[in-house]
Amino acid sequence: MVKFLSEEWIEFGKKYILEKLDPEKDMKNISTSLLGIIEHVPPNDTTMSFYLELKDGKLNDFKVNRSGSFEEKDAKYVIRGNYGTYKDILQGKIGTAMAILKNRLILKGSKMEALKIIKPLDGLIESLRKITDEFEE
Amino acid sequence: MKQDNILALNKTFFDEAIAIAEKGTHCGMCRIDFLETGLCPSGKKYGFVAYWPQGRMEIIKHLKDGKIKPTEKLIEIANSCTLCGICDKQCNFATQLRPEKVARALKEYVNKLDKRKLQTIDEDDILKGLREIVGKEWATNDPVIIASYIRSIIPPGVELNFYIVMPKNTEEVSKIVKFANKNNIPFLPRSGGTALSVATPTVLSNATSLDHGIVIDLLRLKKLEIHPENCTAVVGAGVTAFELQKAAYKHKLRANVAEAGAHYCANIATTGVITTWGNSYGCLADNFIDLVIVDNDGNIKKHSDMGISNPYTTEHGFTNISLNPSYIITEATAKLFPVFDDEEAIFVPFDNLKDALDMVIELGRRGVGLSLAVLSYKYLAEFICPTPKIAKDFEDICKNYLKLRYVVDVVCDKDDKKIVEEMAEYTIDQSFMKTLILGSPKLASLKDSEFMKILSEEENPLKAIFAGPMRKHFEKGLDATPEQLASVHDKDLQDFFKKVYSKPEMTNVVWLHAFRILPSRLMRQRMTMGPGGAIWAGDKNHILKWVDMFAEVGNKYNLEHALGFISPLDNGKFIYIEYDYFYNHNDPDVANRISKTLLETTEKSLVMGHIFTLINYLFKGIYRKEHVLYPLFEGLTKEEQELFREVLHSVLGEFEEW
Repeated sequence: MVKFLSEEWIEFGKKYILEKLDPEKDMKNISTSLLGIIEHVPPNDTTMSFYLELKDGKLNDFKVNRSGSFEEKDAKYVIRGNYGTYKDILQGKIGTAMAILKNRLILKGSKMEALKIIKPLDGLIESLRKITDEFEE
Repeated sequence: MKQDNILALNKTFFDEAIAIAEKGTHCGMCRIDFLETGLCPSGKKYGFVAYWPQGRMEIIKHLKDGKIKPTEKLIEIANSCTLCGICDKQCNFATQLRPEKVARALKEYVNKLDKRKLQTIDEDDILKGLREIVGKEWATNDPVIIASYIRSIIPPGVELNFYIVMPKNTEEVSKIVKFANKNNIPFLPRSGGTALSVATPTVLSNATSLDHGIVIDLLRLKKLEIHPENCTAVVGAGVTAFELQKAAYKHKLRANVAEAGAHYCANIATTGVITTWGNSYGCLADNFIDLVIVDNDGNIKKHSDMGISNPYTTEHGFTNISLNPSYIITEATAKLFPVFDDEEAIFVPFDNLKDALDMVIELGRRGVGLSLAVLSYKYLAEFICPTPKIAKDFEDICKNYLKLRYVVDVVCDKDDKKIVEEMAEYTIDQSFMKTLILGSPKLASLKDSEFMKILSEEENPLKAIFAGPMRKHFEKGLDATPEQLASVHDKDLQDFFKKVYSKPEMTNVVWLHAFRILPSRLMRQRMTMGPGGAIWAGDKNHILKWVDMFAEVGNKYNLEHALGFISPLDNGKFIYIEYDYFYNHNDPDVANRISKTLLETTEKSLVMGHIFTLINYLFKGIYRKEHVLYPLFEGLTKEEQELFREVLHSVLGEFEEW
């Protein structure tokens, strides 16, 4: 178990996804990319981001920028929200779809297309939930 | 509330207070001065919902079930009530409840409390920060005050991990949002809270409410300016529909407003003000000239700012659903419209929906009338009858004896009135409607009478009553007087209600359409859920099929249901339909059936196509109707239907499918 957005978190996440998620069954062979921008990260109110890329249901890239955001143009979808929202999602207090529909995550890109990948994304987040136990306070 | 405290009270008295509190549905009518009684002095002074009658009703339930413990604030809340009786008058008009008994029970309860054992609530850093923004008295984390917001923004069953804050202006709202973001705390604005109350007993409860965080109560944003020179009003987020309309009427102007207790700005944000005046006055972004909003980052923006991207457009398609606003409207510059001296209301009765629909669409396309709708017998009965029992009997008479199932309801000037009269074989005029309002108890008492039986055997009972020789006798026989109508209220309130029903506006149908004080009766002592939405007006069979679908689903789940209203939009190109289901909000089984009804009717509507459902309407009010309604999307494909259910499961979790 590791801290959200740490280097270990990325490595654990990659390993878990590769080993436990079936590209066809769990990830529905989707090819997409997602940039998550995390604002108001404690304790210094900074911004961080992660970039996740899937190709045919397989993890192609997963990285974290701890001092700002990656280029938005590189991702098919961009979601933006504060640290507390991401924390609530990873703790299972709110689902990704609900966070988008409640405007706690602001989505850039087609909502229709984004909702189509919700189910496989939910599986991915479920995996990340299992390896994340520490958050910034 | 601990058992020994309950026993210390007069049990019958306390049980009665709880029973009243459980029947309350938070219609919000106790927060507007619609009977000229003045406002609840305690609510007016302290602001938080806890100090209003509806808040006390919520608090006493949670004291009883032990969810909250007494605090210093509870004593202040109980003692701030002067037992002036205003709430009894207001609530009795709308719901026939007596909330003052709840206030008395709370007073008795706090009098018996051991003041040394009160729960103390510490000020934490978040509360300190919020108080620095709004002042000490306008932010709290007291569980008693928090509990008063349950069911109107806080879902039942969650921990009371909240702060309630009451800003006084846009700048304070902006600071609160920035503060909340910096501290990673979710927030949600609250205005009248009625829409949230309607959602709370259903599967939508968690989707629309706030499960923890900061409730931004907007009641203090009371700015209200009427500018007759350009027919506009500047309206703060704390101003209700009733207050705006009252101010506008002083200048012979009228606003397009929702139910009396709804806050104008919140109504723009949620559904864009759905009314029977929409064909003439507009809908969605037609309603306003400009808005001041605070976005999710806390930035203050105006719709008229040159530097922002188009604020009037939104993504198209059935997945464009928002369950919370992505902005807080703190001020709106609303459009106002002239009130004409020759305005009148006229009703055309029908025994079937198809003919009523034909007429209302025709009138809508020709631009006849200011307010235009088909109302069902159910709406008519609920609105004009002073008690649920009278409404029920009135309904039976309309439906089974008079064959009065629908009325086309038109508010218009004298020229348009002539057009309506020429189109209809017979009509109900304003004077007869006044008779029906004041004589509703007498009419209801005629249920199962010989007179009604004879009337029902007529080939056309409607014609016999409204256009034949029976009309004069019928009108006379109804004994339509304020005294008669007042006599159905509790004895101690009858003098008051006699004066109320003697006021011209209380039987002036145009005034009642404009000020909308009667829809609260749809929520009296039970809840109403009114799905529906907009549909192309061009295909009448499609419309009738849609209405039939709502009825079939209502029958399937064994619910009390009826069409509410149908009103044209955009010169009769669309019509808006509300279909109502009525249920006991304290019964989890029926609430479950209501949830299924809501989901099933939404899915079926989307599959039918060319329909913009109520769920899609939510939080589209700031966009142009041209972007929202044009074109209405086709019916869902099988693949899209699967996606719809996937999204529902992601959002709502596990639920029983249909």
